[in-house]
Amino acid sequence: MVNFDRTTRPAEPEPSRKLGDEGGPGKPDIDRPKAPNELLRRMKNVDPDQAKKYRQRSGQ
Amino acid sequence: MRPVLVGLETEYGLSVEGRGAEDQIDDSMALVRSYPGECFVGWDYRFESPRSDLRGFQVDRLAYDPEDAQFDTGKVRQGDREVRSDRVLPNGARFYNDHGHPEYSTPECLSAHELALHDKAGEQVVARAAAAFADETGRQVKVYKNNTDFHGASYGTHESYLVPRAVGFEKLFKALVPLFVARQVLTGAGKVGHEHGSACPFQMSQRADFFVEPANIETLYRRPVFNTRDEPHADPRQWIRTHVICGDANRMFACTRRKVALVRLALALVDADLVPVWRLADPVRSFAEVSRAIDDEGRIDLEGSSWTTPRLVLESYLDAAERLPDADSETLDTVQECRSLLEARFSRPDQFRRTVDWAAKHWLLDQYREAEGLAWHHPAMQSLDLAYCDVDPAESLFDALVEAGEVDGEPGDLPEVLPAPVGSRPWARGLAAARFGRHIETISWGSMVFKGNDGPVDLRLDPLREFNPALADVESWEEFCALLQD
Repeated sequence: MVNFDRTTRPAEPEPSRKLGDEGGPGKPDIDRPKAPNELLRRMKNVDPDQAKKYRQRSGQ
Repeated sequence: MRPVLVGLETEYGLSVEGRGAEDQIDDSMALVRSYPGECFVGWDYRFESPRSDLRGFQVDRLAYDPEDAQFDTGKVRQGDREVRSDRVLPNGARFYNDHGHPEYSTPECLSAHELALHDKAGEQVVARAAAAFADETGRQVKVYKNNTDFHGASYGTHESYLVPRAVGFEKLFKALVPLFVARQVLTGAGKVGHEHGSACPFQMSQRADFFVEPANIETLYRRPVFNTRDEPHADPRQWIRTHVICGDANRMFACTRRKVALVRLALALVDADLVPVWRLADPVRSFAEVSRAIDDEGRIDLEGSSWTTPRLVLESYLDAAERLPDADSETLDTVQECRSLLEARFSRPDQFRRTVDWAAKHWLLDQYREAEGLAWHHPAMQSLDLAYCDVDPAESLFDALVEAGEVDGEPGDLPEVLPAPVGSRPWARGLAAARFGRHIETISWGSMVFKGNDGPVDLRLDPLREFNPALADVESWEEFCALLQD
């Protein structure tokens, strides 16, 4: 078996959760595409209390 | 690569106007029975063994959720067979009531792509049954392809992988648990808020809040990351069905395919003895932590004092897969796709979210949140999450996202009952149900019992056998049975 068990990497301190740490920024400073207006309109039609009322039996 | 038979079972959320959770089992039964399409009624429960554990023992009973049990107080129901209301569809799929949730179990398939198609087509079966049930009752009926009610109740989307029994629990546990913890980065369905554990505004996984042990046999309560139920639906001397309960219900076709393809890939690494070795300090805690790592790479603590990231874990599996001597094209495509997505996650997020459910949901809801000046914990945000998972194309936010051209890889129009491949076990099962149903007593995944002239004819269906295509042309059930036993 191939061993990837970090033997070549020493223990490191716990990473902070700041943007830009490790794999790059979570929210890059660029203009991102926006959802089409039709989609936003459909979102406005959602009953805001639907989740409050939504109770389920525990399944598997 | 060894062929791996795979199946997907999805328990759908159900909301019926004017009814509550205490009515849900009755409503789910009625919904399944309302399905207007062709189907066979008569499931065979002889081979179900939910109390058998892969580790070589049987438990006396399964745990149940005491809060959930209160919904049954004072209820008197019919027998288990009536409550489950099993239907077998002409493509070999199973549609039934599982503890108050309409459940669609796909025909078993040999590729992740084919399986994802069946899972997607199955949404239409459930939606059509819901529409028929709404017509019958005059009530609004909503079905959601998700795994939580945001109040602490969860219901599953289970994957099944047929594996030789000789592989055993230890190898499977070591090979799959690190992948389960890490794969949610590429396969999570996304969820607003949390139900257990540390607070968060949004997380990758619908299910991460519901695991309490690394491995056990439970599914309803005290759920594990690795489920040890031993119920192969095939010859138990030869096969294990690896029963994966930690995945999410995905609306995105590409996510469903990737979720399954990654496990297929890991199972191929088991066969080739190429599994990367990761010793996770606490898989349960890491599962929840990775799920919450929306804005950074995340962290998985390892035994000792070291740690890693889900990306490094996933890349170790992809690296190993490139050393497989006989990787099939689906596995190679999966390696390429996953590498590209891991690279794109932070550098090209607008590419990433086009095939990753949680990222698409987060992108969409975040815009609404900002436009309306809402906090993530505003109740409307979880309602939007539900609307994303709605399987009614006229109401669903996911379907609107597809219509808007913001999702890649959706398969387009599919027949509601997508045929199983000719010659496969589900094909034979579905064919028998559709053509000779009145001569059949019961059907299950691996068996069919014909009524017979001189008593029941009990047949076993080998899971990987290629059945004779001439079965489609026979005129009588007797010929069908004879050809099946050839």
